[in-house]
Amino acid sequence: MSERDRFGANAHRYLDGAPHGDLAPEERREAERLLGAVQAWTEGLEPPTAALDDAVMARIRAKAPRRADRGWRWLVRPQPIRLRPVWVPLAAAAALAFWMLAKPEVGPGPTLATDGAATTVDTVFVRFQLIAPDAQVVSLAGSFSDWTADAYPMTQEDGGVWSITLPLPVGEHQYQFVIDGERWIPDPRSHALVDDGFGGTNSVVIVGPRGVVQS
Amino acid sequence: MELSDGSVVRRVLDGEVELYRVLVERYRVKFGRHAVALVGDRDAAADAMQEAFIRAYDSLDRCREPDRFGSWFYRILTNQCHDTRDRIRPHADVTEVDPPAADATDAELERSELGRMIDVALDELTPEQREAFVMKHVDGHSYEEMAERTGVGVDALKMRVHRARDTLRQKLGAWL
Repeated sequence: MSERDRFGANAHRYLDGAPHGDLAPEERREAERLLGAVQAWTEGLEPPTAALDDAVMARIRAKAPRRADRGWRWLVRPQPIRLRPVWVPLAAAAALAFWMLAKPEVGPGPTLATDGAATTVDTVFVRFQLIAPDAQVVSLAGSFSDWTADAYPMTQEDGGVWSITLPLPVGEHQYQFVIDGERWIPDPRSHALVDDGFGGTNSVVIVGPRGVVQS
Repeated sequence: MELSDGSVVRRVLDGEVELYRVLVERYRVKFGRHAVALVGDRDAAADAMQEAFIRAYDSLDRCREPDRFGSWFYRILTNQCHDTRDRIRPHADVTEVDPPAADATDAELERSELGRMIDVALDELTPEQREAFVMKHVDGHSYEEMAERTGVGVDALKMRVHRARDTLRQKLGAWL
């Protein structure tokens, strides 16, 4: 496209709603003709009718009932556990024993954190890491947490590194990091990325019985 | 009192499926002209909107901020509209259409023809330019509002709108 085909900066400002100022008459005339054409075009745009609402609802009713009803959601969502103080030492001892069995290792995330020594071959500990020195809070959200933004808060280490180790079922999982509760980003070190279908990108980690197969 | 988007989303997820109609009506009205402008055909735009609503329903439990359902749905709808336009519209070339006669006196007819040519010339734009142009000139958004909705910077959006206008100017040169 040559310079002659382009509007000048003043013309674009005029088309954005600014006063015409010292816009050359010829260019102003062309800009106004374009605006007139655009207006004629927009006047002819009619939105879909209410019949659309009926069509959408008919398709939704024809679907199987959502399995994400209240009961199901309660079952699959992480639930807070309240312990009486007297039970806390026992719970801590049990958690420590479980942790020692798991023998987590530190590495770039997501990585196998068990050296293959998970409690069963159905579940493998995976370590996730993100370098975000400016973040105040970072959490991990994914298909394994019903995409709840704050289910898995990560721990800040030296050098702005945030990490968390999770037991994940063998299989494919998608995830993102949530920075300061509002910014969702894929794992910068993940090689496996998929479009989440909503304008964003999810990282993918594939967990096999002996560890991370792909990330 | 009007139900908030967040309240509707949560209640639909809890089993009140019929309430989804509230969101369908709300965003059909709000984004309807946007969809028709992006797709370039009213019936096809209705189909695209229907698919987008069904897709949003199927993924509703992945709507991370139910109170911002509109922004989330906007992205789904816009992607659907781009796909639909690609599928239904063969690439047109407005230069193959004769311009109106120089002595045309029927101003209304000429104006209407110009509007139709805008629709055809939009095929010459990239999906990103077309979306930015529609947000600016159909939805009437400021660049700041466009940036908030799309997550794209103001400067980049200005560039897309300017490129879109320059392309239209080039393609409609004989009419302007």
